[in-house]
Amino acid sequence: MTKKRTISIILGIMCFALTFGIFVQVRTIRSTNSSIGQNQEANELRDEILKYKERYDNRFKELEEAEKELEKEREEATKNNSELEQAQQKITEGNKITGMTEVTGPGVTITLTDGKGIATSTLNPSQVIVHDLDVLSVVNELINAGAEAISINDQRWVLTTAISCRGNTIDINGERIGAPFVIKAIGLPEYLAGLERVGGYLELMRGDGVGVTLEKSNSITIPKYSGVINFEYLQNVEER
Amino acid sequence: MKKGKIAMTITIGIACFALVTVMMMQFKVVNETDITAIEDMQESELKTQLANWKTRYEEIDAQYQEVAQRIEEYKNDEESNNEASRLVQEELEQTNTLLGLTDVHGEGIVITLKSGEDGAAISADDLLVIVNALKFAGAEAISINDERIVNTTDIVYISAGSFIKVNGQRILEPYVIKVIGNQSHMESAVTGTGGKVEELQTLGHTVTIEKDNDITIGKYNGEIETKYIE
Repeated sequence: MTKKRTISIILGIMCFALTFGIFVQVRTIRSTNSSIGQNQEANELRDEILKYKERYDNRFKELEEAEKELEKEREEATKNNSELEQAQQKITEGNKITGMTEVTGPGVTITLTDGKGIATSTLNPSQVIVHDLDVLSVVNELINAGAEAISINDQRWVLTTAISCRGNTIDINGERIGAPFVIKAIGLPEYLAGLERVGGYLELMRGDGVGVTLEKSNSITIPKYSGVINFEYLQNVEER
Repeated sequence: MKKGKIAMTITIGIACFALVTVMMMQFKVVNETDITAIEDMQESELKTQLANWKTRYEEIDAQYQEVAQRIEEYKNDEESNNEASRLVQEELEQTNTLLGLTDVHGEGIVITLKSGEDGAAISADDLLVIVNALKFAGAEAISINDERIVNTTDIVYISAGSFIKVNGQRILEPYVIKVIGNQSHMESAVTGTGGKVEELQTLGHTVTIEKDNDITIGKYNGEIETKYIE
């Protein structure tokens, strides 16, 4: 009799567990179904993004072409007037400095990679990762060493460029980029390579376990800014 | 007796098997659900990305239209020198504005920083981080102690003499950062929990922020010259 009762209780518990399992199961499947629906929406969003990206890419190429044509027209229109010719040269020169045209020249390439020994390292894991402030500091030091043009993963450093941390990636010029960070700079390579100095920021990062390389080169190409700088709040003071 | 025991064992065995199978299925579904949870997170991200690319396309498109129009204007007015002159001057002014070679004005805020009596002084990195945060929030012009921030501005600490240089010029406390841009965006870029202002105040430094509806920021005073870019 007691044996039967024990068995009944065991079976009862099992039935309960089984029912519970099935119940949870059904609920999970129900929520999964709804997220499959959401997946479709996400896919549509992805398609939309790709569409706009493509439109952007095409327009960007057209813009580059148009700007070249504009420069030709401007040269043509100013060639008979020395004053205007000077202004024309200032515009062309200015566009290189502000990042509105692609430029080439001698310089250095600095590559920053997240440290590898994250799991085993006794170092603080966040130390071996490249941070927004690291990239910002390297750019600041490059400018200090006389860099005339800088890009980070082909994003041109312009007047309004800021670097912002977003988890494992950083936002720059509205684009999200992740490690490795390839920082290109045009300037006198010997000066720019001065960033390798003892006690400098690069050495500091190496000490933290970040992968750092610096390579000099005779010809570095830095692309044009991928966006447009529009002023909404700012006005030039009228010359009196 | 024996027969009943066997039947019982088999029943329990089957029940166990069923239970385990259901559990396994359950784990599998739960695992997949975790992935869809990430996808859910990505969806709001995707929406932001889409808005971002839409804006970028519209901006680049507007710029393209402007350049195309300018080309037309040059083409039409090739004969008239006056018209060409106007066009060139207009372009030059735009370039100079981007270079920071013009005095500018507009709404914005003024941030004044003064180091506390004890402890470390406000550093060049602090200023660099504030400038970066302001730029990220859409600042259109910035100056520190009237040194205009241009795209080739460096902010460095000179240990021999312990002072900060901006654009190669020595600046002294108090540091006055003027910024032109949307006032509330500028303010929230540096204030708030975990913001740079809070951090500096906790360290004992004095920070004041004033809104101003018409700030004037002077032009960059140095020479902008290049030797290496082509």
